[in-house]
Amino acid sequence: MSFFDTVLLRLDESVTGLFGQWNLWTSVIFTVFAGFLTWQIAARRDPDTHPFLLARQAQGSPVRQPGQSPVYRSQAAPHGMPLNAGLNVKDAGASKWSRGRDGDLRDIWRQAVAGVQEDGPTKGRTGRILTVQGAQVIEHRLDAITRQINLIGQHILNQGGHRVAIYLPNSVELIVTLFACTFYGLTPVILPFDQPDDAVISMLRRSAADTVVTAPGSFPFDLVVKSYPSLRQLIWVVDEGSKHMDWNEVPQGTGSSVNVSTWQDVINDGPVDAGKDLPPLEGQKEPCDITIFWQSKPGQQEELVRFRSANLISAIAGQLFAVPTSQRMGPSDLFLPADSLANTHTLVLTLTALFSNASVAFNSVASQADDLAIATRGVSPTILVATPAALLKTHKEASARTNASLFARFLHRRNVNQLNHGGVMPTTATTGTATQPEDTKLRLILTAERVGAGTPRLSSAVLSDLRAFTGARIMYALTAAKVAGAATQTGFYDYRVFEGEQGGGCHFGPPLTSTEIMLRDMGEWKSGDDGSRGEIIVMGPCVAGGEAALGVAGVMRVDNTLTYV
Amino acid sequence: MDYVQQRVAQAASNQDASTSSLFTPLNGLLLSLLLYTTYTFLLRPSPAPQIPKEEPAVVFRTFTPHTLLPYNGEKDMPVYLAVRGRVFDVTRGRNFYGPGGPYANFAGRDASRGLACGSFDEEMLTKDLDGPLDRLEGLGAAEMEALQGWEERFEEKYMVVGKLVAVGEGEK
Repeated sequence: MSFFDTVLLRLDESVTGLFGQWNLWTSVIFTVFAGFLTWQIAARRDPDTHPFLLARQAQGSPVRQPGQSPVYRSQAAPHGMPLNAGLNVKDAGASKWSRGRDGDLRDIWRQAVAGVQEDGPTKGRTGRILTVQGAQVIEHRLDAITRQINLIGQHILNQGGHRVAIYLPNSVELIVTLFACTFYGLTPVILPFDQPDDAVISMLRRSAADTVVTAPGSFPFDLVVKSYPSLRQLIWVVDEGSKHMDWNEVPQGTGSSVNVSTWQDVINDGPVDAGKDLPPLEGQKEPCDITIFWQSKPGQQEELVRFRSANLISAIAGQLFAVPTSQRMGPSDLFLPADSLANTHTLVLTLTALFSNASVAFNSVASQADDLAIATRGVSPTILVATPAALLKTHKEASARTNASLFARFLHRRNVNQLNHGGVMPTTATTGTATQPEDTKLRLILTAERVGAGTPRLSSAVLSDLRAFTGARIMYALTAAKVAGAATQTGFYDYRVFEGEQGGGCHFGPPLTSTEIMLRDMGEWKSGDDGSRGEIIVMGPCVAGGEAALGVAGVMRVDNTLTYV
Repeated sequence: MDYVQQRVAQAASNQDASTSSLFTPLNGLLLSLLLYTTYTFLLRPSPAPQIPKEEPAVVFRTFTPHTLLPYNGEKDMPVYLAVRGRVFDVTRGRNFYGPGGPYANFAGRDASRGLACGSFDEEMLTKDLDGPLDRLEGLGAAEMEALQGWEERFEEKYMVVGKLVAVGEGEK
């Protein structure tokens, strides 16, 4: 035979010889192989967002001033467009495509009462307002709250109040007083709760408040009446157990300069029909400012910050746009702030929840106890605002429980891989944590790093573990005294883990649509062609005074997210 | 046919050549294929995609007529021109403003008077680079309007990378 034929013959013989060895083992191996390939192809999930979107999350301006870095903005607010400054509030009956107005805090309550405006399955639905007391959950009706807003506001106005200090834990009364002040032209001053007596007096003095709404037991009434003579009016918010006592008495020897009343008296004294309607939209006055106190480290004096209504509205708009449209807060969500409402970030998020017609639950002990189990007792929230300390505690407990079992460890590592490399939320949370009952519906946790207040940092590995433990997405924000809401916030779909980086890869995400970030040269940290470093400067419509220097050094990472140096 | 008969005879005589052992070459081949696939899919981490770095931002500079002159597109330099004290980066319009283009006179110079009068002549440019900037004297309302239109076009199309001051005025 010819050479070609010989080659073919040899080839034929070898192939036949090889496959002639097929036996039972070969069938088994082949079946496993085919099954593995099929499973991999069938069970593959696309990442929640395109990896290129995570690879660059902010855009720097093409020109920069000497001594500064480029100005960084979110991809949703490109350079040349104005930053998000308004809520686009449309009056009832206006066309869906009409241009709404910016709005102020009064429109938030109006929207909460009116219900969902968009056409769809949820049109007209309103959220519920709940108070959690121990294991009991009390629901408040929206028209009852509107009545309280009207009566309290009119009462304070009639008694001649101008600046109202609110010294209450997280409760419905805090929100009612805040809205009452906005509707009746008073300036609210929100004081952080549970402070030492001298701090309370110093804050009252600096804010020049003439009315205080507070709860008995935590407010040093005698001391304040002696050391702060400008106080004109006091409203006690009394709980059920103490209602029988007489709260109208004033200590001896102080004269009758302070008008004392209780919340319940003001509400019950008003006629039943009064206060059903909010003050009308036409002819309303300019919105008033809000004063808050920013707590730094314990022992340091609180910083007084005056926000205009436009600052808070812009912060709320930024938070609304931080979440993709399909995942936004809605009437089916239950929002629970487990952090003090005196914190601007928590307050902005609560107002965002009210504006989105979500149900909101208030728990007055949530902010003191750094424990998510206590905060979420009695309700199963879908959106939670927590402090980094509480999250770290949850993480430690859940890690200890997971590390005890080999299978749990394997499952957890698989989940973290799905988050980090696969870009998807794991289908089965590493459950078995006592903080979350099995049927929890938690879907989003919001937390914030407070500049200068010594909050513990959450590295990306810790955040990723928490996502695997709770089955909820986590957004980590950077907040500061003069910035309403957050300066920067991690993306909704950003699950990446950065091990081995300086600081454990702790980053705070790109700027929001209502802020822009610039880094000014500070000491040894200078910006150049190799990267941007320097003092973090935040600008935008949600910053008090338009621009604020945070006093800490930051650096822009490769993906244009902000982190501390 | 010859070949086929030969092969059939060979196959018939090799009927009982297969063994039921795990360690045959075929099994080894398939096993190694399975292990490699498992490693690739499950154990090897896929690196995050890298996109090219952003171009570093241009630093805003204060130019004098002397320092602006080199930016006329020659020797790979970008093309800048100044309109009413603002320096625009017109490298994207290199075909017009770069060397050999119809408006090449404007590159690296103060183009305000030329744009106002609609002329690309040499007389429109400031002769004395050490002297004060062109104060646009002797231009009527129509020319100022034309200049305004040109300036707005430039604002929309090109980036402002600096400001132009006369020699000696320094940083203001």
